[in-house]
Amino acid sequence: MEILLQSSFFSIYKYISREHFQVLIKVVLILVITLPVLLGIRKWANHFFSKKYAPHYGMLAGKLFFYTGLVITIVTVMDQLGISLAPLLAGAGIIGVALGFASQTSVSNIISGLFLIAEQPFKVEDVISVGNTIGIVMSIDALSIKIRTFDNKFVRIPNETIIKNEVTNLTRFPIRRYDAKISVAYKEDIGRVRDILLDVAEKNQYSLSEPEPQIIFDAFGSSSIDLDFRVWAPVSDWLAVKNTIQEEVKKRFDEEEIEIPFPHVSLYAGSASKPLEVEMVQKREVGEEEAKSTQ
Amino acid sequence: MDNKFWGEVSLQESKIQYFSLGDLHLWLRFQDEEIWIAHGYSGELIGTIQDKKPPKDVEWSRWAMKVVSGDIRIQPVFPDLPLVVNSEYPLKVSPETQIQIYTRIPVWIRIEQAKTDYQLTELPAVKLSRTWFGTPIEGELCYHAMTRARRDLSKIDKKSYLVTCPIFVSNKSMEELNFERFCFRVERLSIYEHNDEFWADETRIIYHGENLNSDIIMAGKLPEGIQKKQLLTKPRKEIKKSLATRTFKRFFQTHF
Repeated sequence: MEILLQSSFFSIYKYISREHFQVLIKVVLILVITLPVLLGIRKWANHFFSKKYAPHYGMLAGKLFFYTGLVITIVTVMDQLGISLAPLLAGAGIIGVALGFASQTSVSNIISGLFLIAEQPFKVEDVISVGNTIGIVMSIDALSIKIRTFDNKFVRIPNETIIKNEVTNLTRFPIRRYDAKISVAYKEDIGRVRDILLDVAEKNQYSLSEPEPQIIFDAFGSSSIDLDFRVWAPVSDWLAVKNTIQEEVKKRFDEEEIEIPFPHVSLYAGSASKPLEVEMVQKREVGEEEAKSTQ
Repeated sequence: MDNKFWGEVSLQESKIQYFSLGDLHLWLRFQDEEIWIAHGYSGELIGTIQDKKPPKDVEWSRWAMKVVSGDIRIQPVFPDLPLVVNSEYPLKVSPETQIQIYTRIPVWIRIEQAKTDYQLTELPAVKLSRTWFGTPIEGELCYHAMTRARRDLSKIDKKSYLVTCPIFVSNKSMEELNFERFCFRVERLSIYEHNDEFWADETRIIYHGENLNSDIIMAGKLPEGIQKKQLLTKPRKEIKKSLATRTFKRFFQTHF
């Protein structure tokens, strides 16, 4: 190696001193060894903590190990290069004050992120609703959470927004209820409608027998009797229940000749018993019209 | 029992074989070195059910195997989830009383390639609705079944798709046990064939009170007259000497 570096054709020492070359080799070795090790540790931590606790703990632990290791590596490299940390840290103090004012939002997000981790309102892979956004949580990071919506959009929501707003976790519990609004005509026998709806729920392949389906008499509507048809399903089948049960109700009501009404408007001229009065303003003979049209 | 249904079946090239059990209709064939399976259920199939080919709305599933063979094995197995068994007529067991009841559960069929024991599919002979056993916050998904909780089996018809499960209930509490429904963890039971009927090993439920877990003992104890050599199917999960678990209480509160 030494011979090669000092050979008559090429000598690296013409360009760089022996000491600097040795430092460079050390820095390269440090980077070549530590970076793959850190990546390996991140992967292991991610897998270990995901398996033992929850996926988002795995992600956080992986990042914590990786970035701590990275900082230590950078400090070591700087030490090897002879860059003193003291002036950097002093400079960092002044810059820190300036940055502190400029990065209030980021700090707020980081603190909100810590609250999110402690409170655990959701985990990675949960389906949540924030404002008008519904999607699957991809990651919970220091500044924000990342969501994949069902139409495959990537949404980044700052942690502060999550802390300040109402968040609904749709998959926290293993079962969910679907509430269908069913309207039937006033002439229908509600007892019979109830039996039919319970039968539909029993035959639906996604609904659960228990908790039992419920039919709640909701209201005497303007043109219908409104019922609340409540069916339970495992969280994974909730959408399937929503999609199938209403279709099955419609089909069954058609078979059983149960009327699903639409709004009716009746026009009366002053009194419900009297027909609407029609007054003829001008009378014209049919023969006259035909004669005009042929001319 | 339809003996043709169970055991090894040799599928012939491009010839469809038809079987039915309970509500299940099954069509099998061996074609282009693949095993083809189609199935449907009474009440769901449209039109007349023919032996020679499935109705148009039924789709075939195909399996390409490492070992090319049309020999398959059809076995009865217990459902893949526990069952919440509801008693048709609620049975009340007084304190410090022991009773023996029988409940009959519809089997599933497991289809394997005979040479490799590779499992192709499992299908229920009768489709059971699903139910939840537990609270809205935690619990387990189960199938829902009805039973008459019979004390005597001599007067009932044999049905080839049902497995008879003897259950010994011991009420060791000082309160009445309302045997209206219970969670039956069938995944730890084996299936035996005896007198052309399917039988499961005995389940012992020891009830200690409403707020305590019941002891479930599924130790593989065989019903009278049945021997180990009559075993058809091993349990899905390993047999444990005793299992302390919720069996009777449902936990549900009124919901709005």
